[in-house]
Amino acid sequence: MEFLRSIGITEIVMQFMLINAILGLSMYLVLYTGMFSLANAGFMSIGAYTGVILTQNFNQPLWVGLIGGMVVAGVLAVPIGLPVLRLKDIYLAIATIGFGEVVRILILNFDTLAGSITGESVRLTRGALGITGIPKITETWHLLAFLVVTGFIMIRLHRSRFGRAMAAVRQDEPAAANMGINVVYTKNMVFIMSAVLAAAAGVLKAHLTRTISPGDYGFDQAVSILAFAVLGGTSTWVGPLVGGFVLTALPEILRDFKQYRGIVNGSILLLVIVYLPGGMVNPAGWSQMWARLRGKKQGDTLTTEVS
Amino acid sequence: MKKLLSILMVFALLLPVTATFGQDDTMEQPLVGFWEQCPTPENLPETVNVGAIFGLSEAVAVYGTAQQNAVQLAVDEINASHYLGENSALVVMFEDSAGNRDQAIAAMTKLVEEDGVVAVLGPTLSSEAFAADPVAQENSTVVMGVSNTANGITEMGDYVFRDSLPEGAVIPGTIAQAAEILGLAKVGLFYGNDDDFTVSGYEVFKAALEENGIEILSEETFAKGDVDFNAQLTNLIAAEPDALVVSALAAEATQIILQARALGYEGPIIGGNGFNSPAVLRDTGADSEGLIVGGAWNYGNPNPTESSVQFVEMYEAAYEMSPDQFAAQAYTGAWLMATAIRCADSTDRTAVRDSLAGIADFDSPLGVFSFDEDRNPVHDPIAQIVVDGKFQPLALVMGE
Amino acid sequence: MNITQQVVNAIWLGGVYSLFALGYALVFSILGVLNLAHSAVFMWGAFIGLVMVTQFSFSVWLAIPVAMLGAGLIGVLLDAVAFAPLRRRNAPRIAQLISSIGAAILLVNIAQLIFGTQPQRFPLGSIPTDTIEGLPFRITPIQIIILLVSVALMALLQYMVIRTRAGQAMRAVAFNQRVASLLGVNVSGIFRMTFFLAGALAGAAGVLYGLAYNSMTPFMGDQVALKGLTVIVLGGMGNIQGAVVGGFVVAALEVFSIANGGSNYRDAFVFTLLFLILLFRPQGLVGQKEHTRA
Repeated sequence: MEFLRSIGITEIVMQFMLINAILGLSMYLVLYTGMFSLANAGFMSIGAYTGVILTQNFNQPLWVGLIGGMVVAGVLAVPIGLPVLRLKDIYLAIATIGFGEVVRILILNFDTLAGSITGESVRLTRGALGITGIPKITETWHLLAFLVVTGFIMIRLHRSRFGRAMAAVRQDEPAAANMGINVVYTKNMVFIMSAVLAAAAGVLKAHLTRTISPGDYGFDQAVSILAFAVLGGTSTWVGPLVGGFVLTALPEILRDFKQYRGIVNGSILLLVIVYLPGGMVNPAGWSQMWARLRGKKQGDTLTTEVS
Repeated sequence: MKKLLSILMVFALLLPVTATFGQDDTMEQPLVGFWEQCPTPENLPETVNVGAIFGLSEAVAVYGTAQQNAVQLAVDEINASHYLGENSALVVMFEDSAGNRDQAIAAMTKLVEEDGVVAVLGPTLSSEAFAADPVAQENSTVVMGVSNTANGITEMGDYVFRDSLPEGAVIPGTIAQAAEILGLAKVGLFYGNDDDFTVSGYEVFKAALEENGIEILSEETFAKGDVDFNAQLTNLIAAEPDALVVSALAAEATQIILQARALGYEGPIIGGNGFNSPAVLRDTGADSEGLIVGGAWNYGNPNPTESSVQFVEMYEAAYEMSPDQFAAQAYTGAWLMATAIRCADSTDRTAVRDSLAGIADFDSPLGVFSFDEDRNPVHDPIAQIVVDGKFQPLALVMGE
Repeated sequence: MNITQQVVNAIWLGGVYSLFALGYALVFSILGVLNLAHSAVFMWGAFIGLVMVTQFSFSVWLAIPVAMLGAGLIGVLLDAVAFAPLRRRNAPRIAQLISSIGAAILLVNIAQLIFGTQPQRFPLGSIPTDTIEGLPFRITPIQIIILLVSVALMALLQYMVIRTRAGQAMRAVAFNQRVASLLGVNVSGIFRMTFFLAGALAGAAGVLYGLAYNSMTPFMGDQVALKGLTVIVLGGMGNIQGAVVGGFVVAALEVFSIANGGSNYRDAFVFTLLFLILLFRPQGLVGQKEHTRA
């Protein structure tokens, strides 16, 4: 503990690391199923706003806010996922970025919009200023417990029929369909699970940072979440976890570099992804690199293809 | 060459002063500071650590680096003049928040809980302050915003201060004066709708316009990062307003002025704190004619205090650019903090808080400065108009 | 005057958007990779042009080709550092996207160290800024120049890709790398050339953008990154005419949603259209229906 603090990882940084690990996992689910979706930041904001409105405007405890945020995001994921998940690849990525932007703008203008419909003055999302003064009630053990439960579900998922269906859909969609897997169902279920996880992270984080505003969940956040998963590695669910930890801790550990911090941070990202394209947690990638370092020729790459 | 010249200039300026005070080896006494009001402290440790959280990377660095420069300038001056006593030096630990809430919270936690600083300056953005200031409050540590203008900042607790005038303290006066002098009846209102600073400004403008019975012909919005405002300006100008009232940050302000003029608009443009940057005047050239700016401080202020003139000279000599309002407020903030420590003669956080809260009639570049009972700044805002490429007091010029 | 002016505004803004999107679209069409560092190269182009004008007293017209060359070389460097090693390793495309983010962070932070953070501009009087008289609408010479340059660059690029041998090789690589290399095409050379061209286009766009808006910071690329993405998707990814059409469509949509009083929802309109286009016409506005890229 003392050591961690001395390199800049205080309790709050650790809490952010845990939150980002949850976000990494929510990204992992869609990538594991072969879907390049960037909708997670949007669902995170839906979760955060729902949760905060429940705890602040309706005086509910955190767990109600948490479940409320997860449910709302999960329900909204259905009408989004059904049309959008027919898209592939970069098209899916862009469509989901579009979804995130529309969510951001709607939350930004929610009060004016609701006000003009109901004819009364509405103060719910409070526009660009966002909601401030949210009590800090998320504890480290909440996050740990949530992560443990999620990890347990991940392990169970991989051993289940559904988990094998996810992998099959990623590897070859038509073949999976021929094998009798309901591809549409699988993709949409995964999309919903991913949305629910992102929303949970949103609720928990909002009650850590004490304030939320629509700008927190834009394109930058969507790309960061993607980076947690890809840099961590998507061949196992542990990768995004590690990715979330490392990418959150790194800027704090590098504080002593002062104005060179960004350069060091960017270089590390670049080196990791260039030398370990399968991510940090990827046994195949490490053994390849080891082989290369020892000057041996290696065969075909074994990294999981996610795109 | 330019640098050499400016260094020589500074020496030339310092020479007569050092000659008069030349008997001891310290530099001349700075114009800012409670030199008489509080005795030289005797109980301070060798180094007095103060934290500063500014956005030093990412887009926010446009403001954050100016703040860092200004604080460093003040610290050098404070230490050279032994403001905290013969054997004590003020050390400011700068932390970068990158305009990001999480990083602001992490930086605040590190400074307050790990590094044990006496007090903290910053963070740069109001949104960061709402996230990070509670950490200082919980640890009974003073945090002073030097650029936070949103409503409700100091309501976070009795350890939260700011020296930056909120828009509410600047704009109503500007609008009232402009309305009276220019006889405004109808205006177009233009603002950024996704930024807490520009939205706060908009709300204050709107209330002030209504209070003065001025009709708002149309409202238009833009988004953070926009550079093209032609479409909105075309709309606004088509309604033939007596003036354009704009709540924007400096980068946007410049574009709005240039593009409005290019579209043929010749009337007054009224802006708030965001317009109050040397870059706006420099980059708009002749197009700034008739620009009316309300703000906390301006380098072109036609009626500056002595310390303001000196601050501008020092800043320009050190950094080869003109300071903006952010720099002036950060510079004053560092001096206020040092003064609180000097007058408390202690690094006890609560003693420093009480001492800071008690500061009144402090002569600074911002003018004669005091804190009110809510730890908000009290000093005269400026209302000015650009005439012949220079800022002039609005009342003076129009009163003729 | 109002509607005419808004049409002019839309055309002008469309020129700006297309100019930025050209290089973006080029890389995507040949490599099938989203290069998120493109906006950083654009920023570097602007600053190279600025340094030429302020430090070496170049005229603006001379500074543009220099900036194109410089930004083109940065593009090649970008390929060598962030893309080529991953291609060699057959890494998934998503890894290339992430490495382009790393490269963008690096490029922006280096620029911040060198050029500082204060907004900079080309000296007053570098270009004529007075409104042209005697027209039923208002337009400045730089606006016309940018429009002309972007149309010219588009035509040039189109000619190159369709008519020249190098262009044919590029298209062959885009269609199928393996087949292209069997046909004797130097595939990595084509990639390098693509990055050079895209960088040069970004450089030209950077300088012209800097001239048009007179405010340059290391962060100026952020402002156009997402917009550029929108533009190339709307127009049809990997399609050069598409980038131009997309630029004008996005600009028109923005301007006319504002003209009709919807400035609050401007971006929501744009992204909703984007969403619908993706659902019903994923090949974009001008793209032909093609096989889905793996």
